[in-house]
Amino acid sequence: MRMPDAERAQLRREGLKTALLMAPAVIVFIGLFVAPLAWFFVQSFWRNATFRVVPDFQFGNYATAFRDYGGVLLRTLGTGLEVGGITTVLAFFFAYAVRFALGRAGPLILVIALTTLFGGYVVKVYAWRSLLGLDGILNGALMAAGLTDAPVEALLFNAGAVTVTLTHYLLPLAILPLYGALADMDETVIAAARDSGASAPRTMFDIVLPQIRPALIASFAMSFLLAAGDYVTPALVGSPGNAMYGNFIQSQFGLRMNTPLGAAMSFSLLGCCLLILATVWLVMRRVLRAR
Amino acid sequence: MRQGAVLPFAFTAAVLLFLTVPLVLCMLFAFTTGNASSLPVPGLGLRWFRALDANPQFWAALSVTAQVTVGCALASTLTGLLAAIGMTRMSTARAMSWLVVLSLPLMLPPLVLGLALLTFFTSVGLKPGVTATILAHLVFTLPFVTGVLYARLSTMDRAPVDAARDLGQSPFGAFRDVTLPALGPTLIGAMLIAMALSLDDFVITFFTTSRNTLSTLIWGMMRQSITPEINAIGTSIIAFSLSVTVIALRLTRYRG
Repeated sequence: MRMPDAERAQLRREGLKTALLMAPAVIVFIGLFVAPLAWFFVQSFWRNATFRVVPDFQFGNYATAFRDYGGVLLRTLGTGLEVGGITTVLAFFFAYAVRFALGRAGPLILVIALTTLFGGYVVKVYAWRSLLGLDGILNGALMAAGLTDAPVEALLFNAGAVTVTLTHYLLPLAILPLYGALADMDETVIAAARDSGASAPRTMFDIVLPQIRPALIASFAMSFLLAAGDYVTPALVGSPGNAMYGNFIQSQFGLRMNTPLGAAMSFSLLGCCLLILATVWLVMRRVLRAR
Repeated sequence: MRQGAVLPFAFTAAVLLFLTVPLVLCMLFAFTTGNASSLPVPGLGLRWFRALDANPQFWAALSVTAQVTVGCALASTLTGLLAAIGMTRMSTARAMSWLVVLSLPLMLPPLVLGLALLTFFTSVGLKPGVTATILAHLVFTLPFVTGVLYARLSTMDRAPVDAARDLGQSPFGAFRDVTLPALGPTLIGAMLIAMALSLDDFVITFFTTSRNTLSTLIWGMMRQSITPEINAIGTSIIAFSLSVTVIALRLTRYRG
């Protein structure tokens, strides 16, 4: 049976209205995300001549990105894995304790933790810098306790300071999805497992973790990506000797103005990150299976 | 508290201390009367806030920040509102896939997004400045604003709107007189969420701005020295974004 023309025209009008309503958001998405990213990708194959870029199609920038900066790239991915791992584990135990062990104190503790989401990223890095510095609180405390006579220089400007600062910044962000997933979980299933004699670790690995696997992956992916792509924290609390890949990407846009190499380095980093995340996803799917 | 909760309690307490102590100390040192951000604090006072008040760089940065945050919040809320209305006209599954697509920019490290935007803006002839920063912030605030507004719109009772339509109101009239007043608090809440996100950003601002905003000002000051004046700016930012967020959460009743 054919639709009457009037009805079809009405449907088309409604569809057009929806399209018009979505139009500004689509323009923002395409004009300020898809197009810039595609353009950046295209430029990664161009060549850098003196003070200008020349259209080309060659993989020299990618070769440089891996050859000259390969060691830094590996170290950066290592830092990302370390920070992502520590953050996800801490966030999981925190969310788990809030959900199942703390009773009525739980929600208040969660709210206090989540208020630290705000305050700004640079402010947090600054807070750690003044905390770990030569005349910082930690040194003051160590000297007051008689543990050292002179301030310890080793607290700031090293890889440990970078890990601590990044973990501090990412932890509240990682708690959010994990708590959300645990809050939706059915407690009776856990109780049933324990009642039928499953040990606590068994219940954890066979029931709890498989059920919240998407949230675990989301928390890890976010903290890993943000840590591996960071350049502010290493620049302010790290040492020049262990600068991260992001610092070298950023320096291509300063005085050197080598956009093609900077773009190639950005996509190399992104590609490696996605490869690692895909591996983590596959491993998690194998290891954390509901049984 | 239940018995056997000692270990979880100790663990969460340690995490809470780790999360809050640096920020609390940062705020404490803003009120020191001494010369350094360190313990012991000789006395409490507004010395460093007065220094901030006398600093023309601070006021200039505050003005740029205000333009960016407010501009971004308005543009983001208007775009997000239209998209959220459009999404209520689709099936839930379809609306959800729109939301996922619009959230894709959040998966990109800010450094890569910032540099891609910088390169793109340079190529199309848009100079770094307030407009460029507002456009850049639109990318990562839009998914949050759209999500919050869609969540409210999709759970709203449709009967009053239908009644207004039956009584002869135009679709726009019904929206203006019925939907908008009910949506009001959520709309303001969404706007405040966009402001808080825009205020917190450093990396993308750094690549798209020509003059200092508060966050790039802190970055610049920090590379030279560490004075409690930075603590005073930091404390102002923390206080502002925290209160904005508390109000936003109250208004939107947005959970998760």
